[in-house]
Amino acid sequence: MGRMKNLLQKSLKQLTIFAFIVFALSIPSYFLLVDWIWLKELDENNHLIAERIENEFNEQSISDEKLAENIKFWNDIQPVSKIEYAEQPLPENTKYTIRRQNPYSKDEAIDRFRGLKTNIKINNQNYILTIETNVEETAETVAYIAMVTLVFFLILVVGFWILNRRLSKKLWQPFQDTLQKLKSFQLNSQKQINFQETDTIEFAELNATLDKLLQHSISTYKNQKEFTENASHELQTPLAVLKNKVDILLQSDDLTERQYHIAEEMNKALIRSTRINKNLLLLAKIENSQFDSSELIGFGTLVVQSMDGLQAHFKEKNISVGSDISSDVEVKGNSGLIEVLINNLIINAIRHTLPGGAISVMLSTSGFEVRNSGEQVLNPDLLFKRFSRMSANNSGSGLGLSIVQEICKLHGWQVTYSFENNEHIFRVTF
Amino acid sequence: MKVLIIEDEKELAKSIVEYLSEEKYLCEVASTFTEAMNKIEVFNYDCILLDITLPDGNGLKILEELKNENKQDGVIIISAKNSVDDKIKGLQLGADDYLTKPFHLSELTARIYSLIRRKHFNNSNIIKQDELEIDLLAKTVSVNNELITLTKKEFDLLIYFIGNKNRVLSKSTLAEHLSGDFADMLDNHDFVYAHVKNLKKKLSDAGCEQYIKTVYGTGYKWEG
Repeated sequence: MGRMKNLLQKSLKQLTIFAFIVFALSIPSYFLLVDWIWLKELDENNHLIAERIENEFNEQSISDEKLAENIKFWNDIQPVSKIEYAEQPLPENTKYTIRRQNPYSKDEAIDRFRGLKTNIKINNQNYILTIETNVEETAETVAYIAMVTLVFFLILVVGFWILNRRLSKKLWQPFQDTLQKLKSFQLNSQKQINFQETDTIEFAELNATLDKLLQHSISTYKNQKEFTENASHELQTPLAVLKNKVDILLQSDDLTERQYHIAEEMNKALIRSTRINKNLLLLAKIENSQFDSSELIGFGTLVVQSMDGLQAHFKEKNISVGSDISSDVEVKGNSGLIEVLINNLIINAIRHTLPGGAISVMLSTSGFEVRNSGEQVLNPDLLFKRFSRMSANNSGSGLGLSIVQEICKLHGWQVTYSFENNEHIFRVTF
Repeated sequence: MKVLIIEDEKELAKSIVEYLSEEKYLCEVASTFTEAMNKIEVFNYDCILLDITLPDGNGLKILEELKNENKQDGVIIISAKNSVDDKIKGLQLGADDYLTKPFHLSELTARIYSLIRRKHFNNSNIIKQDELEIDLLAKTVSVNNELITLTKKEFDLLIYFIGNKNRVLSKSTLAEHLSGDFADMLDNHDFVYAHVKNLKKKLSDAGCEQYIKTVYGTGYKWEG
């Protein structure tokens, strides 16, 4: 993916290129047009001058000798128009363009001239009159036109740019608004999105479609969450009945040892389903934001409490425990949930540490960390997923880490997993 | 000892009655809010098991009523709601204990036992069984008048056994009880074995008769 540009910038580039081409093409067109007008006007002008000269000479009514003298004098003082005697008149007038030294310029200056050779009659004698009028140099005309065009081109580009900025602010404002709202939207926050009113058809349609889509997602999500909560809740009672019946069964006097073991296996399975059910319910409740998370809690006290409670388990598996717990870490949250978070992480470590292994627990103002010795890196993508167990020891509920993740989400923390120096590291960053 | 079971789930109430009847408890069942209110107005109970969610009313109201009338009945809330709020509210209203469904009947029995002991023997709550003497208030145990030191877990286990005398307690049930808050650890059954072994050893070392018997290979029973 290349550098990202916004939509208007992209169109601005195209428009600028197009405008440039149009303006560039306009330069020769304008030049040809201006030059054509120039020459046409000069031809007309030359004609008028020729007629005037003819008339003026004829009005003098002078003798032929005097005329010849005057023409000679004329030719001397008017180097750009020549009157020459001709036996025969020219078959037709000729027009031409010539580049030569301007006779009125002292410097060396080659200029362009438009000439006319035409017949005139003075005293009924045929003369050929040549008139040449200075006409603007091609290069100069092109330069002037190009200059003006460039100025207009620049005005256009600057105008585009300014308009673009304004448009992207004003015209696209409803779109930006929608985008911002979508970005900050969270499916589980229960907050509805209200899109801004807009009189742009496209945006209004976009908003309406998005609204429909979101409503659908929200209601699906809500139903699903409610379903989980209701289902878990409904399961509590039959589970309770089953559990109690097994309890009673275990007390029967005539129970054989084989029957007792079957009942005990049932008991174990029931305890496990109860646990899964409780955890599902807890997850659903966290997701349904049924917990107040605004108390100020001494995190360290809870960690120490949890570790004290689990001391026997450390000992039993011969696990060496290291801890570095700063006692003055206070966080805003729900103490019950934070207790669950701490317990789940430490219990998880105990369960997956081989006998004789090591666990270390660290707490600082920046976060909480539980490390335990291990041999193989775990797949971090599956780790926090519900019911995706990593080990063959599947006695856990498969929900412990999902719960940890949800609790972190609720508190705005982040939980990460890494594997360094043969240690699994679970870190909660505040 | 009279126990009132306020529970709308018939099978659950039946199981509780069956289990408790084996003890010296006299059980009555109320399956609706109205029935329960009628009963508590007329009779006094040593212990009331109270389900909060009843078809025709909130169980917490019954609790309020009991306290308003200054009744001394001990109350254990049994609820399918594991909500912390309900628990706090219930205990604030004066419930003595709170048990979340589903629970083991042995757990319930132990709680009822402790509750009734607390209510009846306010000042000197001492359990005696021959040479064994347990002071529930001071949390001390002595054998032949010699104090023995038990860990918190071992003491807890001992009370659980005493509260479930002559009952078969399976390893997994004990594990669930001992785990408490650390419910996810309860698959660790060696843990139970270790605690029971230690308790047995401490008691017998002090000259106490072996009341804890192993049954069916993996279960335990306190005989007395």
